[in-house]
Amino acid sequence: MVTLYLPGDGPLHRMPAGAKLVLLVAAVLGVSLLPTAPWSAAAAGGACVAGYLVAGFHGAHGLRELGRQSWTLRWVIVLVFGGLLIFLGPMPAALNTARVVAAVLLAMLLALTTRMTALLDALERGLLPLAVLRVDPARVALLLTIAISTVPVMIRIAHDVREAQLARGISRDIRAFAVPYLVMALKHADELGDALAARGVR
Amino acid sequence: MIRLEDVTVRIGDVEALSAVSLDLDARTVAVVGDNGSGKSTLARLLAGLVPATSGSVCVLGLDPARDVAELRRRVAVVFSNPDAQIVMPTVAEDVAFSLRPRERRSRGIRSRGIRRGGRGDAGTAGLVAQTLDRFGLAALADRPSHDLSGGQKQLLALAGAFVRRPDLVIADEPTAFLDARNARIVAEHLLADTGHRLVLATHDLGLARRCDLAVLCARGRVEATGEAGEIVTRYRASLPW
Repeated sequence: MVTLYLPGDGPLHRMPAGAKLVLLVAAVLGVSLLPTAPWSAAAAGGACVAGYLVAGFHGAHGLRELGRQSWTLRWVIVLVFGGLLIFLGPMPAALNTARVVAAVLLAMLLALTTRMTALLDALERGLLPLAVLRVDPARVALLLTIAISTVPVMIRIAHDVREAQLARGISRDIRAFAVPYLVMALKHADELGDALAARGVR
Repeated sequence: MIRLEDVTVRIGDVEALSAVSLDLDARTVAVVGDNGSGKSTLARLLAGLVPATSGSVCVLGLDPARDVAELRRRVAVVFSNPDAQIVMPTVAEDVAFSLRPRERRSRGIRSRGIRRGGRGDAGTAGLVAQTLDRFGLAALADRPSHDLSGGQKQLLALAGAFVRRPDLVIADEPTAFLDARNARIVAEHLLADTGHRLVLATHDLGLARRCDLAVLCARGRVEATGEAGEIVTRYRASLPW
């Protein structure tokens, strides 16, 4: 989920990141604002299928990629459907879940077809008007990028700490997990700060 | 290349370097010594990552505390933990990230406006491709950075440092987490004469011996400076076995 980009040469890959961002946000909004009806769920699904088909991924068929991404969302689907089922009943729950999943899958198309650097540039340009409020667009864009790319490191640290706990015979102890996890996370933040400074980021 | 005059570095209550004076001019310099001897602090001081509490520091004619931007442009740093050096999600993007400050300068991007013109994305892409090829990472260009093996991650960190064509590379234990094969590959890249100078803080005495000069640190002081082979022999003789 963190690094979704897949190389390709379809129209979505070739489209500038800013324009693609606007287009996909419009598509996601459109899907979200449709009324709850079978035709709207079908339209949302159709938009999704069309988007993945025209994406033009190298070495992967669009529909296969759509299936793969849908599978990664299986627990989200179960949770959304389960929650809506309780309050709305089976048919509205199914129709709304289809629209929510379609919206998420369309949003994922952006990450699948756009390199992080291009997104970073687009984001930086998009945030430029905020400069009048003394917001530094470059800093905000970089902050978001680092937050995203730090996720796998935090997962790995959690895994390492968990393994160390198990090796010492500690199975469930929140404090025994949290203390080394925080220490390692803060150490990583320190090292990352140094590395960023060394690479010319001030 | 490097001149330190009576430099003390205090971090919290700890004096990490005490009254260090050095005058080094060689293509490759190793810094050896025990854990806590001040090797990493010395490397970080030269990289401008920790300030001197007192004394004067001069690296490539620059004062790391004052000439920060110029120092960042001319000096690259490689750390022991490659995970902390990876910023972007894919290999090629991470290497390109090192060129962002330069690219921004040449494109005239400032936080309050964008002016186009100057070195474009094509130049950056070419430089990135060339660097990936040099470090054997070309086939991994689109792979998620954090999915790489430890050795590949450290090569990526090196690529991120070398893509800027630095005049000086400061490496702090760059082979600490690597197996023998990857340690050898990383060492060859660092020691290769490609127009850069190298300051290498290391516990790998075989690697230190291959440098031109070496500095022996002990308890925050510089105990000796001289030809790398001699210094390594002296340090080895001080070990308990």
